Amino acid sequence: VHVGRLIELEVGGDERTVTARVEEMCERLLANPLIESYEVQATGAGP
Amino acid sequence: VSARVGVVVFPGACDEEDALIAVNRTPGLEARYLPHGERDLKGADAVILPGGFSYGDYLRAGAIARFAPVMEAVIGFAREGGPVLGICNGFQVLCEAGLLPGALLVNESLKFVCRQVVVAVDSTATPFTSGCEPGEQLSVPVKHTTGRWFAPPKLADRVEAAGQVVLRYAAGTNPNGSLRDVAGVANEHGNVFGLMPHAEHAVDELTGSTDGLRLFGSLARHLSAVPA
Repeated sequence: VHVGRLIELEVGGDERTVTARVEEMCERLLANPLIESYEVQATGAGP
Repeated sequence: VSARVGVVVFPGACDEEDALIAVNRTPGLEARYLPHGERDLKGADAVILPGGFSYGDYLRAGAIARFAPVMEAVIGFAREGGPVLGICNGFQVLCEAGLLPGALLVNESLKFVCRQVVVAVDSTATPFTSGCEPGEQLSVPVKHTTGRWFAPPKLADRVEAAGQVVLRYAAGTNPNGSLRDVAGVANEHGNVFGLMPHAEHAVDELTGSTDGLRLFGSLARHLSAVPA
């Protein structure tokens, strides 16, 4: 069984800073690196 | 004078009252609640993180509780060698907090399981099992959906080699498919211990077993031997 989740976050800043911040969020809370893998995608300005 | 045991209360916990009762039934121990917003442990000599569904178990079981203000104090206490016990959801919180190795996954059956199980004491090198005999069997209930202990192979080998596996389900009775039948693990120093079975529900013959008191009795003995 493979289960995934999609988390949409609105984070302001340039792409490098935003990606770094979101990766930190993944490591600390959004994912448990022991049992989950994650991928961060910056999609530009939100709606 | 009884040793003080703090029972942490997270929003969404449900077994804190049984934990309190189990501790108070143990000679030499006295329990009090530690609300999630506390910044210190109010002089507790040991801490219990009870079962339940802290913060609705959103994201992952235990993932949010780990950031509760009281957890900073619990983590500091654990790092200084203070005895910390996590039962079920409390076990999940301790894994998420990085105080215990591994993680808890959804049961192999993908279903909630609620039944009496037999676990064997694999390590007596924790304050919670020091009064047990090695290999002693305990009858305790489990009730969980996310109880399958897992660790990547290298970590699992290390945990095993260091004697950190404290409880194992008796052969053929593993209720969740946990790796190597693990029911409970400790940290390297043995002072932090997490288990899926509910020792606090096994403290009265009325509900089938008093074997849970073996763990609380061990703690009482441990604390009475430690100079304050």
